[in-house]
Amino acid sequence: MSVGNQLHVGMSEIKVVKGPAVFTCLGLGSCIGLVAIDEQADVCGMIHIMLPQAFRDKPIDKPGKFADTGIPELIAQMEKLGASRTRLVMAYAGGAQVFKFGSDSASRMDVGARNGEAVARILKVMGARVVAYDVGGSSGRTVIVNSVDGLVRVRTVQSGEKPLCGIRRANRGVAA
Amino acid sequence: MGSNSRNFGLMEMSAIREMSNIGLGHATTALANVTGKAFNMEVPNVETMTLEQVPFMMGDPEAVAVGICMPIEGDISGHTAFLFPWESAQALWKMLIGYAPETPDQIDELAASAMLEIGNIVSSSFLNAISDLSGLKLHATPPMVSVDLVYTIAATIVAEAEIGEAVALALETRLYGLEDSAITGYFLCVPTMSGLNQLFSALGIPEAA
Repeated sequence: MSVGNQLHVGMSEIKVVKGPAVFTCLGLGSCIGLVAIDEQADVCGMIHIMLPQAFRDKPIDKPGKFADTGIPELIAQMEKLGASRTRLVMAYAGGAQVFKFGSDSASRMDVGARNGEAVARILKVMGARVVAYDVGGSSGRTVIVNSVDGLVRVRTVQSGEKPLCGIRRANRGVAA
Repeated sequence: MGSNSRNFGLMEMSAIREMSNIGLGHATTALANVTGKAFNMEVPNVETMTLEQVPFMMGDPEAVAVGICMPIEGDISGHTAFLFPWESAQALWKMLIGYAPETPDQIDELAASAMLEIGNIVSSSFLNAISDLSGLKLHATPPMVSVDLVYTIAATIVAEAEIGEAVALALETRLYGLEDSAITGYFLCVPTMSGLNQLFSALGIPEAA
């Protein structure tokens, strides 16, 4: 389905739209792309998270950079467009360790794993409805979300493009 | 991330250029010694950039690349990385081991360890040269290799660097073998901001206001 409104969600960015749009988070390595939708209000939003936690001792220049500040900010921005947090349905992908060759690489570059844990923990505390997630591993992921049919696709260098899930009810049965 | 952008003075930039040339010069010699092949390395371009710009430093962020990342320890912490566009990585493999994987999933142990070794040699000789110039202790830690999109590799290094509030120096390098065409790579040095200031002061460059 072709949709005119193409949105690239760059590092630390949050984008929210009422109506049709295609969101893309390009080449997520350790970063996480999280998408949320309120079908009834027809509001969809995406965030490109870089780090698990905001620094306590520094001003937050971009709330979208961190999982703990970014997820509440995404929801707040969606609410401004008429979404209700109780109706939100979410999916997320990323948090890989792309440096797969080399000794102890997994423990030495662990931002991806920490991002995955932080997002899971925050969503659990919020009681968020998560349809699907695809985290970890050693492949970078490009995540594409079409707000019209609600399909979430994940593309990797190794495996090409595959559907992850549907975040709209009509396509909820789609699974990887 | 605005706090990470920093304008360098003339003296600082020329110090960075000089160190880069000396550091990569040492690295080239080391590479030649290990491989037994004559190399020439040029550094046509040195740029400082914000971390946000790093994923775009090689042009197309969706191109496949081989990235070697080497965290730095010692008086200055940070990361160095070497990124090669896929075709350049293949040319480098041919030069080093006589063959090249056709696709990223064909990288075998020998090909992976050849890249790790390149990382080891280049990073440690680069850091040794800067150690000698500045008197600071700098150690390369074992390298790690990734084969993915330029954007993915760069963003992952940037995320690690963000934790330590870093500044990025990107060095475009061209590596020539005797009979081979040029291999283009990008050497990335991402020291923490405080580490870089410490380096400038060790070199006797007054802090730019």
